[in-house]
Amino acid sequence: VVENVTLTEVERQLGELRAAAGEPDELPRLRTSVMTHMAWVPERWVEAATETLAGLAERHPSRTILLFPRPNEERDALDAEVDLRCFLRGGEEREVCSEVISIRLCGKRASAPASVVQPLLVPDLPVFLRWRGQCPWGAPELEELVDVTDRMIVDSVEWPDAERAYARLADILDRVVVSDIAWARTEPWRRAVAELWPDVAGAEEIRVAGPRSEALLLAGWLGARLDREVELRHEAAGEIELVEVDGRQAEPVRQDRTTSSDLLSDQLEIFERDRPYEEAVRSFSSAAT
Amino acid sequence: VTQAPPVPQENPLLVGLRKRRQAEPCAITIFGASGDLTQRKLIPALYSLAFRNLLPENFGIVGVARTEMSDDAWREKMQQAVKEHGRDEFRQDVWDDLANGMRYVATDFADDGGEEHIVRCLNALDEDRGTAGNRVYYLAVPPAAIEAIVVAMGKRRSAEGWTRLIVEKPFGHDLESAKHLNTVIREYFDEAEIFRIDHYLGKETVQNMLVLRFANGIFEPIWNRQFIDHVQITVAEQLGIEARADFYEKAGAVRDIVQNHMLQLVALTAMEPPIDFTADSVRNEKVKVMKAIHTPGPKHVVRGQYGPGYIEGEEVPGYREEERVAPDSMTETYVAAKLFVDNWRWADTPFYVRTGKRLPRRETTIAIQFKRAPHPPFELDTEEGLRPNVLLIHVQPDEGVSLAVGAKVPGQGMTIRTVHMDFLYGGAFRTGLPEAYERLILDCLLGDATLFTRADEVEEQWAIVDAMVAPWKRDRPSFPNYAAGTWGPAGADELLHRDARSWRRH
Repeated sequence: VVENVTLTEVERQLGELRAAAGEPDELPRLRTSVMTHMAWVPERWVEAATETLAGLAERHPSRTILLFPRPNEERDALDAEVDLRCFLRGGEEREVCSEVISIRLCGKRASAPASVVQPLLVPDLPVFLRWRGQCPWGAPELEELVDVTDRMIVDSVEWPDAERAYARLADILDRVVVSDIAWARTEPWRRAVAELWPDVAGAEEIRVAGPRSEALLLAGWLGARLDREVELRHEAAGEIELVEVDGRQAEPVRQDRTTSSDLLSDQLEIFERDRPYEEAVRSFSSAAT
Repeated sequence: VTQAPPVPQENPLLVGLRKRRQAEPCAITIFGASGDLTQRKLIPALYSLAFRNLLPENFGIVGVARTEMSDDAWREKMQQAVKEHGRDEFRQDVWDDLANGMRYVATDFADDGGEEHIVRCLNALDEDRGTAGNRVYYLAVPPAAIEAIVVAMGKRRSAEGWTRLIVEKPFGHDLESAKHLNTVIREYFDEAEIFRIDHYLGKETVQNMLVLRFANGIFEPIWNRQFIDHVQITVAEQLGIEARADFYEKAGAVRDIVQNHMLQLVALTAMEPPIDFTADSVRNEKVKVMKAIHTPGPKHVVRGQYGPGYIEGEEVPGYREEERVAPDSMTETYVAAKLFVDNWRWADTPFYVRTGKRLPRRETTIAIQFKRAPHPPFELDTEEGLRPNVLLIHVQPDEGVSLAVGAKVPGQGMTIRTVHMDFLYGGAFRTGLPEAYERLILDCLLGDATLFTRADEVEEQWAIVDAMVAPWKRDRPSFPNYAAGTWGPAGADELLHRDARSWRRH
């Protein structure tokens, strides 16, 4: 890690890495990007984020910008590390590389991250932002990054008070498209509940044994889709184990266990808005008012 | 009387859920179940579909072949095949689930009881596995065996559910036999139930050709005779004929590759934009290309046969020395041709195509060579410098697209060198490309025939091939005329030299 760097220096390092790649008698390495992938990683999420990324780069070659906020450090500086991750796929002769830029934003630099990432975004390609942990609603770092992002990816299971958080999330849905990994986990269950149609057209209660966030999303979704009040009966569990609508049990098709990399990876392939998700989230906003 | 509240027709809960391509319950019967194709491609493809939960939950496989074998012995053999040839890790639970629905029937169709065994086995699967009378018959058998199976199974169509028929290539051996086969099959099956497979169409890069052309605004305006000088399509194989001498002696390169794969690549390159991506729209446009292909005269077709030579440093025998090949065989292992598509878009633009066995490397490419820049304003150090742009579509290996552009060599003077801008398919989408057979089998289970060949298309292909080979009956070239490990006979080079062009450098 080089301490106290300028972004010009970061770009110069990237250029050097690209030029140095490959031995003289080898085919040049290819640099491929399908997006810029930013991740905002507060200290307590570093380990989980690194693990997820390790399984991700190969599926989504992109310029990855990891932002590690350190607002409590005394010095105002950027520390950066630039790395090239290269992969060789079976049967192919040429390595494919993508760039990973890790930046520590120390002191006040942590509150103006957009000005740090903007010079590093790959032109013309979509920008995805993975926000780890609770979102600091209204804080400048979130507001700024949302404005340079096409799609924000969160996992609302990481939020301590999801119900209140959904109400705040609803406020930014007009500015940025949001993917929620918790919502993705509910997909097989939503599909199974949809199978119960039309018996559940007049649903009054949904019972969910699973994480609170996912239970809330399922209840919000069912209410919004049916345009009626649906009461949630929730029992805590590590993952969804049971969903019942008015006593009718939903039976999802067998699903392979997916890693956090797979779940994030799937979200990186989606570009359109997810209206039913937005409606589910907005239902908490109207409940709050 | 109280009335129940009205229930909307559409299910609002399905909104936003991504539509899954989920096939209906069915059983697939593979004729030729002990063959190479079944072991190397079909069963591994079915395993990969099961691995991804893409098969219906109620699914069964019936293997049919001559060899006497028990269900368990066949399952065991297929398990080995999946371990050896599958692209996914072997998972016992996935395999067990698939294997539970696997049955084997030994018959050679000479004995009348064979087809009854198959029907009984399928009916039992309907009971045991809930396959609902839906049938797919996969004919992975030599052409001579097709008719008997079609008649036998056509007479015993299941009373319930749908029936589909997948027919492997080659579909006939000339126009007459293809027409006859079409007539026989259509006696029992409707055209919408017939899936003539050409696995090239299942390849991602071949489908990407349609995306490249019709989803990008920059290519289509220049995709015509005004801007394109000519097109070169190469289907090169490094392998010899392996153990396929019996088939290859009768087929040769023209029936093995040109009639199907090569003409498909020509059609996809030359076709007009279809109005949508439905089976008939796409196939209508492809048929129009076939109809527009000018019958190539004898001077526009070159054939060859490989003699002994070297592949990757290893000495390999000539074609006539291969096992089970006649020592005076006149079968061609190489064909090059100059084709013209006589329509508004392509008039006078040659399509040079070539295919051969025992060429220096395995490669399938479509090269679109654009016209030269009309007037170079530079004083060039060498004439070589300013070469025409080439858009190169790599079908295999290293799937992708590259564009050759001229760039200035840094330094004094104006030296220009051709550099490649590459898009490597596997580099941008690293999900692992599905095998062609996975895509095609799933499409058939879903009833989507877009990537299969229609009757009129296959007949047009044979009409072209028949015209190419007709003059061959009259002359006997001196075979072998190229050494294994070289790029084909001298005549193929002359074919282009006459037009002041040359084959792409490798």
